[in-house]
Amino acid sequence: MRDSYDVIIIGAGHNGLTLGAYLARSGLEVLVLERRHEEGGGLTTEELTRPGFLHNVHANYHTFVDLAPPVKDLEIREHGVKYVRPEVQMASIYPDKTALVVYSDIEKTCDSISRFSTKDAATFKKLFNEAHGYVDLLLGTLMFEPPMSVKELTKALSVFGVGNRSEFLSVKLRRETINQFLDEHFENPKVKAHLAFHGAVCGYANDIVGLAIGFPLLVGKINNWHLSIGGSHRLAHALWRDLANHGGVLVTDAEVASVVVDGNRASGVRLADGTEITARKLVASTVSVEQTFLEFLDRDKVSSDLVSNELFEKIKTEIKHQSWSLFSVHLALSKLPHYLAGEFEPDVDKAWVVNLGYSSPEELNDDWKLIRNNQLADPKPNVAINSLYDPTDAPEGSYTGLLRQFAPYSIGSLGPGAWMDEARHYGEKCIDSWRKFAPDMDAEAIIDWTTYSPHDIATKLPNMVKGDWMMGEISLANMLDQRPLPELGNYRTPIEGLYMAGSTQHPHGFITFAPAYNALSVIAQDIGVDQWWKKV
Amino acid sequence: MADIYTPSWYEEVKAAINKKVSQLKDIPEGKWNLAIEIVGDGMSPYVEDNGERHFLVAIDNGSCLWYKEIASESDGSEIGKLDYRFRGSASVFDSIAAGVLDPIDAALDGSIKVRGDMRFLLRQADQVQALLEAYAKEVTTDWPKGKPPYGSSAGSNHVGEAVFYA
Ligand SMILES: Cc1cc2nc3c(=O)[nH]c(=O)nc-3n(C[C@H](O)[C@H](O)[C@H](O)COP(=O)(O)OP(=O)(O)OC[C@H]3O[C@@H](n4cnc5c(N)ncnc54)[C@H](O)[C@@H]3O)c2cc1C
Repeated sequence: MRDSYDVIIIGAGHNGLTLGAYLARSGLEVLVLERRHEEGGGLTTEELTRPGFLHNVHANYHTFVDLAPPVKDLEIREHGVKYVRPEVQMASIYPDKTALVVYSDIEKTCDSISRFSTKDAATFKKLFNEAHGYVDLLLGTLMFEPPMSVKELTKALSVFGVGNRSEFLSVKLRRETINQFLDEHFENPKVKAHLAFHGAVCGYANDIVGLAIGFPLLVGKINNWHLSIGGSHRLAHALWRDLANHGGVLVTDAEVASVVVDGNRASGVRLADGTEITARKLVASTVSVEQTFLEFLDRDKVSSDLVSNELFEKIKTEIKHQSWSLFSVHLALSKLPHYLAGEFEPDVDKAWVVNLGYSSPEELNDDWKLIRNNQLADPKPNVAINSLYDPTDAPEGSYTGLLRQFAPYSIGSLGPGAWMDEARHYGEKCIDSWRKFAPDMDAEAIIDWTTYSPHDIATKLPNMVKGDWMMGEISLANMLDQRPLPELGNYRTPIEGLYMAGSTQHPHGFITFAPAYNALSVIAQDIGVDQWWKKV
Repeated sequence: MADIYTPSWYEEVKAAINKKVSQLKDIPEGKWNLAIEIVGDGMSPYVEDNGERHFLVAIDNGSCLWYKEIASESDGSEIGKLDYRFRGSASVFDSIAAGVLDPIDAALDGSIKVRGDMRFLLRQADQVQALLEAYAKEVTTDWPKGKPPYGSSAGSNHVGEAVFYA
């Protein structure tokens, strides 16, 4: 590592690496600094249970493959990432052992829905076809460009009369919950439960006002879930490879402790071990707003004309985080699960992801209430068996499994540390609830298992404040140019040369690449880099 | 009345658009270059099946400065840069010109793919809407090989005549 670079990026998650790779391809000298021993952040794959069993500790589902421009621009596949798009994408199994299945083939999905309601199957088909048609347009407009304001968007939608063209797109969606959207268009509670759960797995809680606005887009890519063969970390590795191939440097075990500000501008960073590195052009942070402003900046040295006390206070008190996190049970298995619902729908045994137990959105609403009250819900986890589609992720004849359950960051009044005592017990409850649907998952079938709690998330990745896997609440008030605060909503900060380029920014967390891609546009504009990636 | 996709038809389109623009307020200043790619789909008799026709259009302060047909896909380098690319099948473009398909519907359902900064188009929604109306409704087109839906002679007084636009 030298002592100066054009660009210093804090954090080597997919956003930091993506930004670094584009800027390195643009001829800049780029340094990416990562606190952990390896790159990836949310793209971690580890042998958590036993050697040879590859567990995706965080991101498992890659839903923006071939929709996000970096996949092509940065030649992700050429760098060795192999994606599979499972034919049986997701199933919901209900307590009465019926099941609904989403396939990559939408006709088959509609056939499955029609077993519950032919009307809903027809509505789903219409919604999917419509949404699928404008997925590109919407992604291009709303995700892979720096954000417009809700007001500008609403005006455009009304001038183009979009509400009159589609029964599913209307300006009133910004006042509706996903539940309301589902109630307006669908009749069967199980179908609604499946769609609501799908939204929640994507970070969009079904009971939050305003999130109906994003729902058609979620449906438009409902069958685009991909698995990275050999683990999600392969993507991080590919991004690093692209960075390195273009002269960029990644340094791990390099925790940034502060951002050095010289007058009005960010001139570099200081590491926890005291090393100082100069940034000739810019510093981009992909970690949390709290870390960047409250930890990295020395308030005594930053003029209040530059960053007002009011903004510091807002960051302390007004940054919104997801009100729920994720609890995971990672399993090493000696056999594949056979679900009792297989009698109703044999394809459930082939489903990559299976949601267990919610038979109406109301049941999900009830659990949100508990979780937001720091209580643990009776587990209704979703289960992913990656080995069904990736035989390389476990030793021959064995399989990996993953149970994921929505959960609070803190437990009761005991705080997040209570997870250390509770995790094993809650993990057992998750496995028990799975066994109700797949009784063959007995002690013999489970070779080993371990848990990963919301507290673990925040400990491993301090940028995911309070286990917030989206690095900022997904709500209308925290979207577009309002995310994470109106003052910071455009990837720039009040400090010249200091940018925010991670999931704290529009659109949100998830493996979207979008915060970095959009920050890149803003940075390119500010420092005069040719936007070769934007060639139409 | 000019036959579709002939130079005189494009002149009419250009005139209709520029007339509309002259009546609009808040026209964005600046120059934009567009590529339009019309792909033969076996339905439209105006573009060979699987063939493609490519056009470049220059917009200056909202008005159409010029358009030209080019032999193959352009990356815009010959005119500096390209700001937008519109690509769709010939029957879709024909239907829009015939006023039977709404261009916004075509963009929404993905039958016309738009590439370029959509935020600009959305921010200028009033102006874009006016231009699309001029294109779809204010140009009188002749349909020598039939108007969409093809085969019926409705709207055409040249059915079966030789094409001379190519
Ligand atoms: C349990 C769980 C399950 C998830 N499942 C999915 C899923 O299936 N699909 C999906 O798309 N998304 C999923 N996500 C969300 C996804 O992982 C994140 O939203 C995404 O990884 C965020 O990417 P990022 O680059 O913005 O941040 P990160 O990937 O978190 O990268 C930030 C990096 O900064 C580093 N860092 C922190 N502090 C410092 C410092 N002081 N100095 C230097 N480096 C620092 C961190 O170590 C980290 O590597 C999941 C998340 C969790 C926690």
